[in-house]
Amino acid sequence: MIAYIIRRLFGAVLTLLIVSMITFGIFYLVPRWAGGTAEDLASRYVGRTASPEAVAEAAKALGLTDNFFKQYWDWLHAIFAGRDFIFGGSTYHCPAPCLGYSFIGRNPVLPDILDRLPVTASLAFGAAIIWVILGVSTGVLSALKRGSIFDRAAMGFALGGVSLPIFWTGLVSLVIFSYGLGWTARGGSYTPIEQNPLDWAYDLLLPWITLALLFSAAYARLTRAGMLETMGEDYIRTARAKGLRERTVVTKHGLRAALTPIATIFGLDVGLLLGGAVLTESTFSLPGIGKYAIDAITASDMPKVMGFVIFSAGFVVIANLIVDVVYAVIDPRVRLA
Amino acid sequence: MKRRMVTGVAVGVAAALALAACGGGGTDSNTDSSTGGTATAAFDAANGKVFNPSDKKGGTLKMAISSDWDSVDPGDTYYGLSWNLARLYTRSLTMFKVGPGKTSSELTGDLAEGLGVPTDGGKTWTYKLRQGLKFEDGTPITSKDVEYGVSRSLEKPTLVNGPTYFNDFLDLKGYKGPYSSKGQDNPAIDTPDDQTIVFHLNKPFGGFDYFAQIPATAPVPAGKDTGAKYKEHVVSSGPYKFESYSAGKGFTLVRNDQWDQSTDPNRKALPDKYEVQIGLQADDIDNQIIDGSLDVDIAGTGVQPAALSRVLGDPTIKERADNPLSARLNYVSINPKVPALENIECRKAVEYAADRTTYQTAYGGPQSGGEIATGLLPPQLPGFQKLDVWSAGADNKGDVDKAKAALQACGSPNGFETNIAYRAERPKEKATAEALQQSLARVGIKLTLKPFPTGDYFALYAGKPSYRNQNNLGLMVNSWAADWNDGFGFLSQIVDGRVIRETGGSSNLSVNIPEVNSMIDQAVTETDTAKRDALWGAVDKRVMEEAVILPGVWAKQVTVRSKNTTNVFVNDAYGQYDYLSMGVQ
Amino acid sequence: MVVGPDASISDQVPVGEPPAEAEGSQKAIEGRSLGQIAWRRLKRDKAAMAGGIVIILLILVAIFAPLIVNAWGYDPNSFHQDAMDPATQAPLSKFPWGAFDSKHLMGVEPPFGRDIFSRVLYGARISLLIAFLATLLSVVIGATLGLIAGYLGGWVDWLISRAMDLFLAFPILVFAIALAGVIPDKAFGLSGDTLRIVLLIFIIGFFNWGYMARIVRGQTLSLREREFVDASRSLGARSGYILRKELLPNLVAPILIYATLLIPTNILFEAGLSYLGVGIRPPTATWGGMLSDAVHYYTIPHYMFWPGLAIFITVLAFNLFGDGLRDALDPKTR
Repeated sequence: MIAYIIRRLFGAVLTLLIVSMITFGIFYLVPRWAGGTAEDLASRYVGRTASPEAVAEAAKALGLTDNFFKQYWDWLHAIFAGRDFIFGGSTYHCPAPCLGYSFIGRNPVLPDILDRLPVTASLAFGAAIIWVILGVSTGVLSALKRGSIFDRAAMGFALGGVSLPIFWTGLVSLVIFSYGLGWTARGGSYTPIEQNPLDWAYDLLLPWITLALLFSAAYARLTRAGMLETMGEDYIRTARAKGLRERTVVTKHGLRAALTPIATIFGLDVGLLLGGAVLTESTFSLPGIGKYAIDAITASDMPKVMGFVIFSAGFVVIANLIVDVVYAVIDPRVRLA
Repeated sequence: MKRRMVTGVAVGVAAALALAACGGGGTDSNTDSSTGGTATAAFDAANGKVFNPSDKKGGTLKMAISSDWDSVDPGDTYYGLSWNLARLYTRSLTMFKVGPGKTSSELTGDLAEGLGVPTDGGKTWTYKLRQGLKFEDGTPITSKDVEYGVSRSLEKPTLVNGPTYFNDFLDLKGYKGPYSSKGQDNPAIDTPDDQTIVFHLNKPFGGFDYFAQIPATAPVPAGKDTGAKYKEHVVSSGPYKFESYSAGKGFTLVRNDQWDQSTDPNRKALPDKYEVQIGLQADDIDNQIIDGSLDVDIAGTGVQPAALSRVLGDPTIKERADNPLSARLNYVSINPKVPALENIECRKAVEYAADRTTYQTAYGGPQSGGEIATGLLPPQLPGFQKLDVWSAGADNKGDVDKAKAALQACGSPNGFETNIAYRAERPKEKATAEALQQSLARVGIKLTLKPFPTGDYFALYAGKPSYRNQNNLGLMVNSWAADWNDGFGFLSQIVDGRVIRETGGSSNLSVNIPEVNSMIDQAVTETDTAKRDALWGAVDKRVMEEAVILPGVWAKQVTVRSKNTTNVFVNDAYGQYDYLSMGVQ
Repeated sequence: MVVGPDASISDQVPVGEPPAEAEGSQKAIEGRSLGQIAWRRLKRDKAAMAGGIVIILLILVAIFAPLIVNAWGYDPNSFHQDAMDPATQAPLSKFPWGAFDSKHLMGVEPPFGRDIFSRVLYGARISLLIAFLATLLSVVIGATLGLIAGYLGGWVDWLISRAMDLFLAFPILVFAIALAGVIPDKAFGLSGDTLRIVLLIFIIGFFNWGYMARIVRGQTLSLREREFVDASRSLGARSGYILRKELLPNLVAPILIYATLLIPTNILFEAGLSYLGVGIRPPTATWGGMLSDAVHYYTIPHYMFWPGLAIFITVLAFNLFGDGLRDALDPKTR
């Protein structure tokens, strides 16, 4: 088991390395495709009166004149050792772990991201709780009452739910419930949980519901399909034949088997969400890391974008890892794969 | 939700935006220069006069903005709203007189006892500081602190945002600033004693008092300067100091007990506290001001399109709204360095064919957009003259016949193709590009829309000559506000060909006329105000004749007053409510 | 990246039994291929058929949009300022939600009064074109790599599987935005909208092959061990032959199902990109772009209603049809 975990951990680190290299490569190349030179990139950071020498100095200090591999290595090295940039008479220190230094805001990227993470985490976990409860219970009930009006209505609703773009449902619900009826918080509201848990929940209610609606629709469909498949299995028939009560059959045997794949997807979804609910945060103007990324792109603040990509890829990789390990614990056969 | 930039305010990294002016000028009906106040709510009641005058102290003024501005560091800021706001926590050498209407067109001493004394034909300027000035920690403010503040603002590699007037006009002899030229004294600034500061310029300049009101002349204690990080701990010299500061999220200002009212005839300092929230959604800000949970939108660019019909349609809200004109021109630069547009006849065709009414609609219509502009200088600025160089017809919808004739003369009777650049995150600029695409198509001029990232628009794309010429950016949507309300403050950065830099970054995208350059030199050194104003007016006309700028609208905005505020008026120097004088009911 | 998770996005699409046995019994049931069986089942599924009909209608609308607009409406980019109030920038129409006006079927949009009906129709062209072709690209890459990984196994499988993990780990939306934001004006001999459409197809398609590859690989793994493959191999068939003639036909069903369900995801993705302002450039109408503009005028609800409805109907139709197709091809999950 430990050997398996180590192997997967190694794989995860490797994946992150390659993700970072590809990301770095693309962000290294993209400005150059757009016609920018190292000096162009540096000139954005040194003010309007900068002489060509000052620009050249900055380009050199920022490592923009180096080749791709040197730049990537410096970036990687900074994660463990930190980095100093010295130009224009000032020193800029990016302490380890340094995921990059934004020269537009003149601050290291990681503290910014960590500062915004609670918002995204609150959004993801709150929504996750709602959608799991709503989605799974709807799915199970639908499967058990297959063909009933409830089943049809729920599945119709679910199909509608997965067919709506979140930025549209978000907008419409903001217009109706916030601007119109005044029941929910306005877009852009966020209160940290440690300040006031009630305000925290009130502010996030609408984003949670919007996000959860979308996911619970998907989960209801998945759970229903999984349940139907499981309930048709031989061992369920055996369990019934043994004279077990239907309730026991469903909860102890059926649900358990049907939920395993749901757990997998749940892990990945939460990982993805933590990596930045870009559209949700944009729609509700929540100051999380997804909005941070969009703002960074708008400002062409590439160190920020780069830091965000690595950070969020890290979440997906970790989620993958956890799911795999949990799987291996549940089902020993996986370890051989 | 796609964020709206602080449209009028953030004219971009390189664009100096700034002091918008207004007030009452020419076409606006509120030319009332009386400073009398009123407590009766009515549309435009705080424009040109004080609404709800009061001297009551106390309370908290709540302010918000949708996206952050450059910096709260007085040496690193170039946003009009920021210059308006900085007066709360810093004092510069001079300032605009505080009051409605024409009051603010005059300068007065702030840290200094009065205006500067020019000697040497305007090459040397001397200021005397008031007695009893103190920083928030109780240390006395000396002329050395002012010198340090100005010197550090020269450090553009570190403090990138501020204007470059001191870099351009001070006789620095190679001095770069306290970070780059460590241990050296600034040869352009002398401080013979703690109350006296002397500036040496590299050429005579009659308007130095305008420079002296830039927040960069606020004193900064050298021991507390942390370079780019100073914005996190600005040391106050004004009536308020920072209680907390959270980058990109907001800050609170509380009373500075070391500030002495007797040293400061210009500030009332009514509220006990200012709360500033950054990053609120723009539409929410409007709604909250309307319902009273917020007091001021610091951006000062008016309500969003969504709130417009509500504000203008509901009489109880409309009576709380004002409609000031700012000293800002939204325009399009016509690049004379690309095919077809190299020929002035083809540029004329663009001027004639453009439908000014759709241009106005793109910015929000006559009330929230602005007046259709016929020249560069906004009507409320000295030196303004009504120009009609390229008539767009009686209905302002463009003169298709004249445009076709110009195309004929240009040798492209069937029109030509070019690109129009704009900032992607600005819906109004996008709408402008779409409007011009439609109206120019009438004569066969085909435009392709080219959005660029806002942050790099001037540094890497439209503002970079090699890029705009190679990529055939024929038209470039642009916007400019006066740094202060005179010809120099408005025109110097956008029509002087010598500010164009090969490395990019200038807001002047298309004007480089040798004749205009020498006219500007003449205007700068002219000491007689009336003659100087006339010279700037002539510059305006000459630039228009070259057909390298298509003027769009002189900006106006619909702003809403909070129910909680007292002593509200539009400060014409900024074209926004005066943040210094407002009180809380 | 969360564009809109869909049931289809997991590798849990139950693909069920491959119709391998059908080969043996094919002669007995005269002329009933898998396709025919599935078609008979599909025909009975009313929801799926409705979805299918809507899809066909949408495709027709997209193809003939210029003709429809010519006959019924206005050019999608022309202004109708007379329909707008210049001061407040709201539509003048007395009709609720600005729609069902005798002149403008779905009303006009601020600030210039462009006809929403025409723009929604033209938006269908962009949405469908990009979604279809991007899906095709994902399917081609995903199926090929999945097949190779599953069949060859060993280090090839390891390599491809890690690549799959890699692509699943990317925050695709952010990536796509960053990339789409710097698309040059001219490249590969293309320019303007054409170039952007091609590159959007590439970006959306290229980053989405992971799930497809995973499903195909899983299926191939199990098929590889089946008797009929063994039989073919023992008869001396080469790998290429087995891949093409034995495995691929058995993979058609899962590929088809997944492709149908990937299309709506891609429609949402494209709309999301346009919504964030990095899709096709204005003034070309796209649904996401219309929504993005509508945000600034949320007090005029019809402006966001119509493009939202268009997206909803299209995605729903594909989901209904995809569901039905899955049920038809794989009776076990019904």
